[in-house]
Amino acid sequence: MKLWQKTSLICIAVLLFIVSACSAVLLIHSKNSILELTYSYARDKQKSLASSFSEMAGYYLAEGDSKTVETSLVNYCFSRFADASSVLMRGEETLCSGVSIDPRALMPLSDGEYGARLTEREIEGRNVLIVGSLVIVKSTPYAVYVVEDISTTYNSIVSLAWTFAAVSLAGILLGAGCIALIMHRSTRPLTSLAKTARQIAGGDYSMRADVYTQDEIGALAGDFNLMAEAVEARIAELMETAERQRLFIGGVTHEFKTPLTALLLHSRMLRRANMTDEEKDASLEHIESQCEWLERLVQTLLKLITLERDIERRPCEVDALFDRVRQNTQKSLADRGVTLITNSGGGTLDCNADLIQSLLINLVDNAAKAYDADAADKRVLLTFSNNTIQVKDFGRGIPKEAMERIFEPFYMADKSRSKKAGGSGLGLALVKRIADAHDAELTVKSGVGKGTTVRVRFQ
Amino acid sequence: MKNRILIVEDDHAISDAVALNMQFVGYEYAVFDNGKKVADSLAGDHAYDLALLDIMLPGIDGFELFSYMEKYNIPVIYMTAKTDSASEIKGLMDGAEDYIVKPFDMLTLMVRIEKVLRRTGRLNTVYRVRDIEVNSETRVVTKAGEEVELQPLEFDVLLTLLKNKNLTVSREQLLSEVWGYEYAGETRAVDVKISSLRKKLNLGDAIRAIPKLGYRLEER
Repeated sequence: MKLWQKTSLICIAVLLFIVSACSAVLLIHSKNSILELTYSYARDKQKSLASSFSEMAGYYLAEGDSKTVETSLVNYCFSRFADASSVLMRGEETLCSGVSIDPRALMPLSDGEYGARLTEREIEGRNVLIVGSLVIVKSTPYAVYVVEDISTTYNSIVSLAWTFAAVSLAGILLGAGCIALIMHRSTRPLTSLAKTARQIAGGDYSMRADVYTQDEIGALAGDFNLMAEAVEARIAELMETAERQRLFIGGVTHEFKTPLTALLLHSRMLRRANMTDEEKDASLEHIESQCEWLERLVQTLLKLITLERDIERRPCEVDALFDRVRQNTQKSLADRGVTLITNSGGGTLDCNADLIQSLLINLVDNAAKAYDADAADKRVLLTFSNNTIQVKDFGRGIPKEAMERIFEPFYMADKSRSKKAGGSGLGLALVKRIADAHDAELTVKSGVGKGTTVRVRFQ
Repeated sequence: MKNRILIVEDDHAISDAVALNMQFVGYEYAVFDNGKKVADSLAGDHAYDLALLDIMLPGIDGFELFSYMEKYNIPVIYMTAKTDSASEIKGLMDGAEDYIVKPFDMLTLMVRIEKVLRRTGRLNTVYRVRDIEVNSETRVVTKAGEEVELQPLEFDVLLTLLKNKNLTVSREQLLSEVWGYEYAGETRAVDVKISSLRKKLNLGDAIRAIPKLGYRLEER
């Protein structure tokens, strides 16, 4: 059952109880008032009848009147005041009566009871009110009764009750309708929130709750949207990581295919074909260089994959570090006619020397490759100051559109030139990983035709 | 007339191997490592029977080169490391004759080249070794201009060796291509046909038995 239905039902039940209770109390009170009024009217009537009768009879009767005279006089006096409801009795004898019942049998009056008594009976389906008292006329006791049929009073009470019930019912129905409507309206933001939550769960992470109320639900919707934003961002990040990894693996397989094809072709040819010694030699040379290239690729890949964030660091002499870089890049720099100029400033650096060495070899190699063969001034500057290593060249520079992708694995701004130069497309990816592992900041400034400056700033 | 093949591949290790194989089996060829150079050269020389194109090329890529090939009516086989079916579909939809994925086997490439040449009606049906001419269509064999009678099986063995000139063909390969798969294992039959071919055509030294591998028809 839905919340608005549940809440509505509870409210309607409470309303029903309150209205019923109030109606019942009102009804009982009204009934009592009406009966009280009826009773007091009957009492007054009986009282006035009794007193008028006794006064008049006392005036007319004389001592020594015969029984007959006395009876007729009494009857006369009583009839002057009596109506259809009046009864006069003397002892067991009914002298005058407008009703068909014997009130004495229903409410006997004992001797000396001069105050009025009142009783209510139900006779043949009708409510009868009997008020009676004794009056003494010339030392003879007379019973004066007023017998009122009060069924109409009861009927009006019953009809009053029906009216009450009808009005209450109408009120309850109206109230219930209002409650249901209000509850339904007040939970509508929740329904919309739930719908949004389902859409998000279904994979549509860009959905947001469209609720702008000033209450708790509005606050909940606000928090919900914050959560959805966080989830969307996180999912996007994960997707991006997965996509990057997919591309990386795709790149790795692609990179392996060309050397593998060459190896396969040449080795099969060597086995099967009628080749001259020079051809065999050329083939073997291809195999060798392809193997070397694969080896480099695997080494770089291994470094890239196994490089962890927690690396061992030790203070090391930047001078010695630069020397090792020089030794390792000597051959490729000499082949290209590039001069390496270093300035360590005699400083020390807290780092993993092996990793920083391969970072620098990569950067220096890249810098050397940035020169066209016929460039005039081929220098690569490797300097250290303020905890920052800088590698600077004055070569062809990196095109603007390539700048943001240069750290991507297998990205090569100029693929054919890079491959010819022995690049795997992994160098800068590795540089970035090593810099990240050192929490070092890596910045690249480059202008086409002006050269490139790479800075690695350590903390 | 030898068939002439255009090879466009930026990896020299691969293009060298392909070119050498072309030479072995008797195709003429031209090798380029740059798409732009190919496009520029076509105006002057476009007498190719087939083009082998790499897709990722410096200058102009293989897909773009296709329109040039179309212009000179040169059938195209793509050789590429791209394995995604989108590339393959694009290549074939554009009208390439075939698509071969790296790493590939040279024999497969050779068979595909022959298929494309045959389909496009450019295949040279006359094979030559020394003074012998073999016409694969008419099945006529002549030695020094005189017709030599060969049994059908002998002819097929000779043709297979010619198609793979300078390349070793294993006995199993010969069996499956000439006799059919049901004869697998009966390598004796191959040796018998080879020795009769050697006698009839005087190819005793040209058809070499390569230990453990098979037979090779040599002519450099």
